[in-house]
Amino acid sequence: MGEDSRRAAAAARGPGKPVAADVDPLTLSTVWHSLQRICREMRRVIERTAQSYLISQLKDISVGIWDGEGNTVAIPVGLPIQFVGAKYSVRYIMNEYGEDIYPGDVFLANDPYHGYSCHPPDWGYFRPIFHADRLVFWTLARAHVEDTGAAFPGAYFSDPYDIHSEGLLIPGVKVIERGREQRDIMRLIFNNVRLAEGVRNDSYAMIAATQLAENRLLDLIGKYGVETVHRCVGVMQTRTEQAVRACIEAMPDGTYCGESSTDDDGVELDVPVTVRCDVTVEGEQLTIDFSRSDKQRKGFVNCSYPSTYSCSVASAILFLDPALAEYHNEGTMRPIEVIAPEGLVVNANYPAPMGGAPVSMGGNIQEAVMMAMSEALPTRAAAGWGRRYGQYIYGIDPRTGGLYVFPGYHAEGGSGAVYGFDGYQGSASLGTLGEIARPNTEDYEIRYPWKVISREFRKDSSGAGRWRGGPGFHWEVVNLGGDAGMHTGAGQGETTYAHGCLGGRPTLPNICHIVRSDGEKMRAKVHRLHKVFLGDHIVKDTSGGGGVGRPEDRDPQAVWEDVYINELVTLETAREVYRVVIDPATRQIDWDRTKTLRAAAGGA
Amino acid sequence: MYSIAIDVGGTFTDCLVLDAKGQLGQFKAPTTPDDPSKGLLDSLEKAARSAAKDTREFIGEVDFIIHGTTLATNALLTERGAKVGMLTTEGFRDELEIRRGFKNIRTSMYNLAVPPYKPLVRRYLRLAVHERTLYSGEIETPVQISSVAAALDKFEAEGVQAIAICFLHSYANPENERKAAQMCRERFGDRIYVTTSHEILPVSGEYERFSTTVVSAYIGPIVSDYLQALEARLSEMGFKGSLMMVRSDALVQSVAHSRRQAVTMINSGPAAAPTAAHFFGRLLGHENLISIDMGGTSLDASLIRNGEIPTTTESWVGDERVAIKIIETHSIGAGGGSLAWIDSLGLLRVGPQSAGSYPGPSCYGRGGDRPTVTDADVLLGYVPADYFLGGEIELDAERSRQAILKVAEPLQMTESQAAQAIFRVVNSLMADQVIEMSTKRGYDIRDFALIVGGGAGAVHGAHIAELLGIPSVIIPKYAALYSAFGMFAMDMGREYSRSCMVRADKLDPGRLEDLYRELAEKAAADLGESHVEASELVSTRTAQVRYVGQFHDIEVSLPEELKSPEDIQAVIKTFHARHKELYKFDLPERGIEFRTCSLRATLARKLDLKVVPLARGGAGAAVKRTRRCLFGEDWIDTPCYDGRRLLAGNRIPGPAIIEEQATTVVVPERFTCTVDASGSYLLQRS
Repeated sequence: MGEDSRRAAAAARGPGKPVAADVDPLTLSTVWHSLQRICREMRRVIERTAQSYLISQLKDISVGIWDGEGNTVAIPVGLPIQFVGAKYSVRYIMNEYGEDIYPGDVFLANDPYHGYSCHPPDWGYFRPIFHADRLVFWTLARAHVEDTGAAFPGAYFSDPYDIHSEGLLIPGVKVIERGREQRDIMRLIFNNVRLAEGVRNDSYAMIAATQLAENRLLDLIGKYGVETVHRCVGVMQTRTEQAVRACIEAMPDGTYCGESSTDDDGVELDVPVTVRCDVTVEGEQLTIDFSRSDKQRKGFVNCSYPSTYSCSVASAILFLDPALAEYHNEGTMRPIEVIAPEGLVVNANYPAPMGGAPVSMGGNIQEAVMMAMSEALPTRAAAGWGRRYGQYIYGIDPRTGGLYVFPGYHAEGGSGAVYGFDGYQGSASLGTLGEIARPNTEDYEIRYPWKVISREFRKDSSGAGRWRGGPGFHWEVVNLGGDAGMHTGAGQGETTYAHGCLGGRPTLPNICHIVRSDGEKMRAKVHRLHKVFLGDHIVKDTSGGGGVGRPEDRDPQAVWEDVYINELVTLETAREVYRVVIDPATRQIDWDRTKTLRAAAGGA
Repeated sequence: MYSIAIDVGGTFTDCLVLDAKGQLGQFKAPTTPDDPSKGLLDSLEKAARSAAKDTREFIGEVDFIIHGTTLATNALLTERGAKVGMLTTEGFRDELEIRRGFKNIRTSMYNLAVPPYKPLVRRYLRLAVHERTLYSGEIETPVQISSVAAALDKFEAEGVQAIAICFLHSYANPENERKAAQMCRERFGDRIYVTTSHEILPVSGEYERFSTTVVSAYIGPIVSDYLQALEARLSEMGFKGSLMMVRSDALVQSVAHSRRQAVTMINSGPAAAPTAAHFFGRLLGHENLISIDMGGTSLDASLIRNGEIPTTTESWVGDERVAIKIIETHSIGAGGGSLAWIDSLGLLRVGPQSAGSYPGPSCYGRGGDRPTVTDADVLLGYVPADYFLGGEIELDAERSRQAILKVAEPLQMTESQAAQAIFRVVNSLMADQVIEMSTKRGYDIRDFALIVGGGAGAVHGAHIAELLGIPSVIIPKYAALYSAFGMFAMDMGREYSRSCMVRADKLDPGRLEDLYRELAEKAAADLGESHVEASELVSTRTAQVRYVGQFHDIEVSLPEELKSPEDIQAVIKTFHARHKELYKFDLPERGIEFRTCSLRATLARKLDLKVVPLARGGAGAAVKRTRRCLFGEDWIDTPCYDGRRLLAGNRIPGPAIIEEQATTVVVPERFTCTVDASGSYLLQRS
């Protein structure tokens, strides 16, 4: 059997050692997979019907299923910070509404302090699912909506006064009661966001996804009976917990450290902000402690506890058995504890703004945990990815006379290397673990008054290593619209970097310029607001992912391929960083000089 | 006159011949991978012999050949395609490799241990051309001749065999792509295969279009050369009829078209199996079917729900995104020729390595000495050594025994125990695959009937059904030539599309009528190439429609003629209803946009199967002998029936063996087999 089919067979059987289950294996497998498939189907409904570019095309969407007590059942697709810890939202709503929850209800939450969302643009619609008057499941559909009624259109602007500047805050309120839309509440909400018709469309898309989940889950219960379905869920959670405990048990006990900084908080400029984590492995228990992190900031880089929890858990499970990857649920989370004291950037107090949370500090929390876990498990080491380097541009589209908001996942470099493999090229942003799709240039140009001049890999942009990172990009666009604003809050990594592992190099600096139509070229730094005018070009050069292992240990043949086949590495870098000498005339590796150079570097 | 369907699989080339009386003849010849047309002609030669005709005379009487082949898919999956050069818009040469950031294609987002993507065209062969078309279709920069010329120099120096021309917004205006293609053709003539993205998939979204085009270029030379050679050989043999190819979407099209659009040959062959399943399912009243086609090297499974054969435009074939419409099938490396081996943990494993057609299983006596599934089937008594392929290949059971000993000894088993273990391992492997396919969609397989085809399918079908808890198994009369049969049941034709972006409130029914008329004329002209009268065509009209601002369309059916604004209103009403049905909500206040108009022009081909006469007596008369077969723990003297002598309504209790000319049906103890009027076998678990 090949690697793939072996993996597929393992996937079909499900992880872990069998737990004595009084359900037959075929029913268990069907129910288990049904729950995952329902989530994928939910996401598909949203993708197919949404009108926001970010939601439909780039898939800034998360969906999941929780049980009647708010324990995680299925979280197969989404952006970690949006949903891995969404049980806290479910529990908040249950706590807040108590008995006042009925079949047909739908709740909306986007307030990072009440009902939870990592930042206000991520609207989550929650639906309780009842069977015979008993609350049996919760489902969530959450996506980044086009506008949330903040001080500026779009998202990720960097100098809000407080959380209230970042948009309408909806604390987990009932927007549909027993199947009937709460018209007053919906009118109030849509009166307070820009592009309201579009946001309404996308809200219905999310609500429809939760409806679909309800239908499917009730079908499942109808077919197998509620007790059997519950038993299947219980068996799944127990088996996963056992398997995860076994993975942790196999890690060497000890405390491992990681840290990661963002460039600044958007208010106090050019002063880095840092999260630090201590990961302790003790027997079957994993503790991730952020107590040494920086204090909460005036700027927009703060996270709530559920955000920190989501990012930490999602990063830690990358180091578990890959065969478990498709099945994570509450069982995964039971042996993992996340400590984040109040008042720090990882658990900020009201009214600290949180608009940047998915990138800063969310991305940094992920990096810090990966760095620590790589130290615990060197043969599973994973370097940081090319750092997120997005922006939001908004203005009036002269073709329609209407407001446009141009989001971006176009330029950040690929994945970091992992032990054994170069980084995946092309994938966008650690914060999404590769779930976000990049835009097609053609679709961009149809949709926004901008023309793309170039989007290509950038040479010498990968963090070097025995396994190198996926490359960064060169990206250039020109403004065909008119006056516009640009927030650079959805980015970092100009003065800070993501880690390499085991002697692999970290990421390189990202850099962005605005080139005015008269040729004047100026830096456009992250966490700022910039003005752009008709004919202005925006040019970004980004870093790829970090490397794993020392560059001088990389197979010289792989370096040669990077020079002549992949055209990603220059001869200079081959020689200076990888210590491989290639004669440009013959295009052959000079093995003698390579050996000498490598010996001098103390390499193999 | 004869009509013929030929399916070239990994191991066997299947040939099904329909004569003027409605009689079907089935023939198999080993596939000849180096030159598949040879195996194809071998199978025709057999058919000729059976009709007691000289091959030339026979081929001269064939007016129609439908042909499916796994050639294109295999070339892609085994990385044996052409060396491709890609010409693309300056500034965008990495779109193919960035591939919109898709990383988690067959793996979970929580799995980082994934090797990086290796594109079909490596970066040094993706060359930029100075040119630019805008989204409006306006040519901002015409093709710079010198940049194309420089790229072609490099392609020539590098020995490129195919060129994919992929420019931005070429769906809106193909002029620049055409110009570059013309330069390539002028310079290289037929030496290099040239294809353009606007011909392959004229829709917006460059990644999907470019990737599909590059796949087409990658498999283009192999497909094109093969079809050209095949046509030449057939015509040398006196063939005067039309040769048609099975497309990815289970329609049938001309050879010329297939050569130009090689990507439509992806999944040709396997695409036909669901049509066969659908045909028999309808005949026997089953709407929910799991179809498995077990050949020599692989198993193709597909799932038909509510009588619908699933298609998708979201396929990944291997690591490549192929965005044309494809019939959904799932494939694993398990078949009659799959090799049994012992892994480093001392466990018995089967496949995915296969003995192929050469040397084939050990029992073929062609030099193969490693144990295969077929060897196990022989040893267990299921497959008759003297009547394999109707006695055409004599099997050597002793060689099977010798081969199986190689795994039996280390496992400390007898050879019959080992054979049974191989039989069980391969059955579970296939059952697992089916479970994965269906349960991943949340369907309970126990609600489905299993329909089994392929040479080895009938031997294993009932045992697989048992593992799956499926009570009903259908084994079609022509199980051994399952896909070939599906080809006969297919419609001939093609879907034609044109973009027509307009808001519904501004839509002029007259203009839309003109557009559909143009499409119909094009369809009539194309099918004319295949000697089809326009009057025989059945046209159905659909439009791709969405709410203003959305990114995805819903396909809605249109009436035969749009006369008035009321007709348009009716279409809009259908759209709202369909949106609500599919996605649980509609937006009655929101504007609606027409995007693409499509016309599916097909020639429905009638297929009347000869009915098997009704039985007057029991099946006993058809027993030709008994053979010792191993069922469970016991060697049982099992009655072997002659398939040709069984009649409609015959009931056969298990255990039993039915020997058909091209396959063997195994009826285990707990099953009862009934013969239906089409000659198919229905196995029902008691």
